[in-house]
Formats: sequence, C-alpha cells, structure tokens
Amino acid sequence: MDKIICLGKNYSDHIAEMKEPASEMPVLFLKPASAFIETKNNGKIILPWERGLIHHECEVVFKLYKKNIIGLGLGLDLTLRDTQKELKSKGQPWEISKVFKNSAICTPIQGLRDFLNWQETPFILKVNGEIRQESKLSNAILKPNDMIHYIDKYFPICDGDLIFTGTPSGVAALKPNDMIELKFGPIETSFQVVAQDG
Amino acid sequence: MDNQKLSHDILNILERLRIMHDLMKDKNFEHIPKEELLNDLQENLDLLKTNFQKLSQ
Repeated sequence: MDKIICLGKNYSDHIAEMKEPASEMPVLFLKPASAFIETKNNGKIILPWERGLIHHECEVVFKLYKKNIIGLGLGLDLTLRDTQKELKSKGQPWEISKVFKNSAICTPIQGLRDFLNWQETPFILKVNGEIRQESKLSNAILKPNDMIHYIDKYFPICDGDLIFTGTPSGVAALKPNDMIELKFGPIETSFQVVAQDG
Repeated sequence: MDNQKLSHDILNILERLRIMHDLMKDKNFEHIPKEELLNDLQENLDLLKTNFQKLSQ
C-alpha cells in the first residue's frame, strides 16, 4: 500500500455534530502506510493515550486497483481531538492529530461479492457493547465513484491504496482497555485498545 | 535508478500481484475482466524480473 486517502466532512450528520460549516466538497487528507494496522479478532492495539483525547471515527474503507473498488473493510480513523482543535484554532495544518502509529485501523478487506448490497449495508461501531456509530454508505455526501474521481483530481492514486470514506455522527473518545466491535455485512471483528504497558 | 527506488517499485509490484491473486482466487472479474488481469499479471511479472536483475547488479 502506498497511502491511505481520507475524506472528511462526507456525512451531513457528522458535520452538524462538529458544529462546523459544511464545505462545498469533502476535505481530503492523507495517512501514511506506517499509520496503518489491520485488526486481528480478539487482538490488542496500542494507542498513545499520553497525547490526549483520542476520538474514534468509524468509516467504510475501499481498497483500490486501477482506480476500481475491489474490496471493502471497516476502519477507524483515529484523531487526537484536543490537538486537532488547537491546531485548527491556530490555522495550522493538523496532520499531527491524524498521523500517529495505529491511527488508521482497518478490518481485513473483503471482496465486494461477499456483500448483498454494500452501499445499503449498515456499518456499526460498538464500544464496550454499546452502539456508538451506525450508518450506511448511501448516507455519504459523495457517491463511491464520485469520491474516486474527486480524489483523482488532486492525488496520484496507486494500486493497493485505501480510501477511508468519512465518518457519520457519533464520534467520541476512547479509553484504555475499551472493547471495540466493528460490523459491516460479512465483516465482524472485535479487539481491545490498550496502553503501551497494557 | 537507485536501489531505494528499485526496491520501492518491487514492493509495489508485489502488492499488485497480491491484489491480482485475491481477485483471481475470488473469481472477482466484475470490474477488471479476467483477460485484462492475466495481461497485467504477465506485464508485472516481466517488470518484477527486470527490476530484480537491476537490483542485483
């Protein structure tokens, strides 16, 4: 994988909860492959809690080949929210809040044919058994092919790149030892987020 | 071409081969027809061999 391409502000309900003005088009940003981690069922993922509030953003993930969507996953785009707010208030770039080890979590990718109707299939994030985020891709502002065309205008797209397609409402903080469950059609996985010494 | 660039290119080809493997294993030819994938496979194998030869020099 060369990189992870992320869309921000691609769900109206999330824009509303963040109390931010909607932009004409979704925001684009990148995460490097080194920020990526694939989930292992019942595994543990270490996060940098010492750096402040870590928010989960649950997102459908596309895997691309020749600019086609060839597989789907469900991911968490993690954000150091305090850091992001501070950087935004200073008008500075906010990569530091988005790019850190394990900040791009994704389930193993499944082929499209494993889904009945993937754009209408609900995706769900549960934390400690409680639903935190639930939506479907058809609620996103840009449709899947429009996302790729939009990205293609600005970034070189490489085979194997992942697209994190934006998050719906319900973003909130994680705590050390939270149990995370991700469900999207045939994808169902659970893992724990822990501290370095956890 | 320096070794770092060659190494990067080789890893990208291996990533492409892995994707092709997954598509063929799942018989997922919806977006990219089988013939196109087989052509891609041959092209990438040729390129892989060339790059490995250059890397070893």
